[in-house]
Amino acid sequence: MSFWDRISRLDRRWIYLLVWLTVITPLFLPATFPISVTPEARQLYDAVQALPDSCVVLLTFDTYPNALAETEPMARAALHHLFRKHIRVVTLTTIPLGGPSIAERVTRELAATYRKTYGVDFVNLGYKPNYVSVLKGLGTSIESIYPTDNSGTPLAQLPLMQNVKSYSDMKFIFVVTDNGIIDYWISIVNAQFKIPVGAGVTAVMAPKQYAYVGSGQMTGLLGGMKGAAEYEELVDKHALATRGMGIQSLIHILLIVLIGIGNLAYFMGRRKRGAA
Amino acid sequence: MRTTVPVAIAFVSGIIMLVSFFFRTEDNVFGDASQQLLIWSSIIGGFSFLLGAISIVRVNWRNVRLKKSGWGYNLLTVLAVFAMLVPALIKKGWLPESMAHLAGRDAGSIYDWIFIYVATPMSQTMFAVLAFYIASAAYRAFRARSAEATLLLITASLVMLWRVPMGEALLNSIHPGLPGWINTYVMSGINLSVQRGILLGAALGAASFSLRILLGIERTYMGRG
Repeated sequence: MSFWDRISRLDRRWIYLLVWLTVITPLFLPATFPISVTPEARQLYDAVQALPDSCVVLLTFDTYPNALAETEPMARAALHHLFRKHIRVVTLTTIPLGGPSIAERVTRELAATYRKTYGVDFVNLGYKPNYVSVLKGLGTSIESIYPTDNSGTPLAQLPLMQNVKSYSDMKFIFVVTDNGIIDYWISIVNAQFKIPVGAGVTAVMAPKQYAYVGSGQMTGLLGGMKGAAEYEELVDKHALATRGMGIQSLIHILLIVLIGIGNLAYFMGRRKRGAA
Repeated sequence: MRTTVPVAIAFVSGIIMLVSFFFRTEDNVFGDASQQLLIWSSIIGGFSFLLGAISIVRVNWRNVRLKKSGWGYNLLTVLAVFAMLVPALIKKGWLPESMAHLAGRDAGSIYDWIFIYVATPMSQTMFAVLAFYIASAAYRAFRARSAEATLLLITASLVMLWRVPMGEALLNSIHPGLPGWINTYVMSGINLSVQRGILLGAALGAASFSLRILLGIERTYMGRG
């Protein structure tokens, strides 16, 4: 077997080892990189920045726990921005597996930092089944879909919800998601109720969302951990996503190098077989 | 009768939702009816979770009883269902005050603890393992075998570099305008137009499928053709 054939048939465990080393190295040798901001992330930031102080924004935690590495930093950066502007935040989720817990944990942690009071400055509506019905129903009456908040407190007892009856009482929707629910936030909520929707989505979902940004149906976009790092840069709160950029940079470069070596071995092996 | 009634329900419900979507119906009978339908739909969705939970327990418990191959995993599944379900259903008032925080789904409850320290790390681990498989698969399968594959390979490599700071610095060193060019022409140009075409095609397909359901032509949702 020639050298290039051996390279071409490299045991996958060597590749796994390389990936593992690439992931753990930045943990011991942390390095920071300048984060450039894409026009889509800037558009989202500018839209939130332009909102009047003390208005109400809906922040959704439509994310499963497996994608938290990408989505949680987005939600945290968004909350920094919203709470700093004294914007009141209503959160909800369309994900039953942990969605309410994630929203509760992240929002309460950030709220404590900014000394915000539950029920006055922020409310967690939690989860209700059948997201299409939920998204559409909130446009007419939030209370008919969510009679209580996540902890079972009737909305009538929460001061913030006295003046928030439907989408028309909100100025912006910030969707953080790792799944196709974003299509419904655009096609149902933005299309029918004309409320601006901005989104933070996982990297694998981001390319599709450019169609919505281009058509003006989506006001700004954060794509994956890089998008989260861009928002952290914009709100000047460098945290999880910015730290993750070192690992992601090395992994992307490793993948490109591996693809290059794989192709080189393929062509060299083919040339050798052709010559023989 | 078994076909006509569901088709009639689907038609009437669909028409109400359709009218309420395209016309402002907040203050008339269509608005009220559509809101009621949405509430019913959410409640029915809740019952589907109950059915799912019952089904998963029944199927797995049967395998445990019959000691089928891998029954240990079935037992673990059943135990996991109850481990999450029971603490979440317990009311705070049922427990002594010192233990009340363990009940329900709030922060500090058993349900929340299991979610944060068991469910979340496990699902993230499963997701993270993909990185190893992707690296191995890319090394073996991502070959420039044809012009189309070569184009895909070059584009993917450029976008992968553009999406990370170190790669972006590398692209900048080649030409300062290269990262911006990728965003403008690859992502907001070629990618956007292709994604829009796919979205339009899917939307037209969904619209025609919905129309078939409304008119009773499509009946597979009732378990028959």
